[in-house]
Amino acid sequence: MITPKRIYLAFLALVTLWCAGILLAPLLKSAGLSLSSFLYSFYSSVCHQVDGRSIHVAGHKLGVCARCASLYLGFLVALLIYPFLRSLRAQQVPGRHWFLVGVAPMIIDVLLNFTGLHASTIATRTASGFIFGSFLPFYLLPPLLEAVAQVIGRLSSRGDLTYARKAEQV
Amino acid sequence: MLEKPNKFRVALISGAAIGAVSGIPGLNLLNCCCCAGVWLGGVLAMYLYRQEFTEGMPPLESSDALLLGLMSGVVGAFVATFLSVAILVVFGPIEAEFLRSLFEKGLDRLAEEGTLPSDMVDQFRDQLESAVQDSARVSSILGNLFIELIVYPIFAILGALLGYAFFRPKTPPQATPVQ
Repeated sequence: MITPKRIYLAFLALVTLWCAGILLAPLLKSAGLSLSSFLYSFYSSVCHQVDGRSIHVAGHKLGVCARCASLYLGFLVALLIYPFLRSLRAQQVPGRHWFLVGVAPMIIDVLLNFTGLHASTIATRTASGFIFGSFLPFYLLPPLLEAVAQVIGRLSSRGDLTYARKAEQV
Repeated sequence: MLEKPNKFRVALISGAAIGAVSGIPGLNLLNCCCCAGVWLGGVLAMYLYRQEFTEGMPPLESSDALLLGLMSGVVGAFVATFLSVAILVVFGPIEAEFLRSLFEKGLDRLAEEGTLPSDMVDQFRDQLESAVQDSARVSSILGNLFIELIVYPIFAILGALLGYAFFRPKTPPQATPVQ
């Protein structure tokens, strides 16, 4: 039986796994394990992994840069507290203006750095990434829970139909 | 009642956009920010799909976003790989060469400042050289395709769901009852 809670827990497990991989990459590298190369290679498709823009753990950079790492961490933290703030059955998402509020610090940080008015630092990248990441679950989780429930509902009803047809043939 | 619009055409267009953003050197820097190019491709897919709806059709649902994101991501991974290979064949490993020149400048500066010992600089140079050579290997291309086939659908789905959150109908369809 599929419930929003189960879908939420499965999604939470996947996001935790994704974030764990980011942290595991430097830890495995410091332990001399080759799996770290795969993890760095895996995350290289989603991040530049520039050393100077990354947070270091155990003497090695994380799997992604500081901005991306804090964005994923913000996403995970917001996902964890989501059920305490909103019902998992609620389908409404916040207004678009709140999305702009969430993304604004990151855009301002990038633009200030690009124009040379203020150089972005690890602190500004981390803070702006975390803020944006913590806004995202409120837009993504309601349609995701609804979509997975719809897909599973359709697949199971198709399965029931196929079973019924086979039973008729027998 | 009319059927919903075909997702395949929209998935091809948005997948081509994802592939172009991810496969063309320079443009693919957009993906350096949490796969932003792929996210935007997912949002584009949802926007285009919504435009195809006419009166009398069943309403747009979040499961449409899920499937459309999945399809766009898979198409995007193949298009990106195809473009990368085509650029590699025509121009050679220009992207890897560009990155090498960028890193070599940094290494030269570090060596001049004495921040890095000369033996470590040489070691980094050897690693850069092998990285440039590896970029043209079939195993490396297939490895990248494998990773992209996992990562791109994930981010394209998230992008499409975000697009659904933005472009969803004012009156959402009745949710599938869940026990």
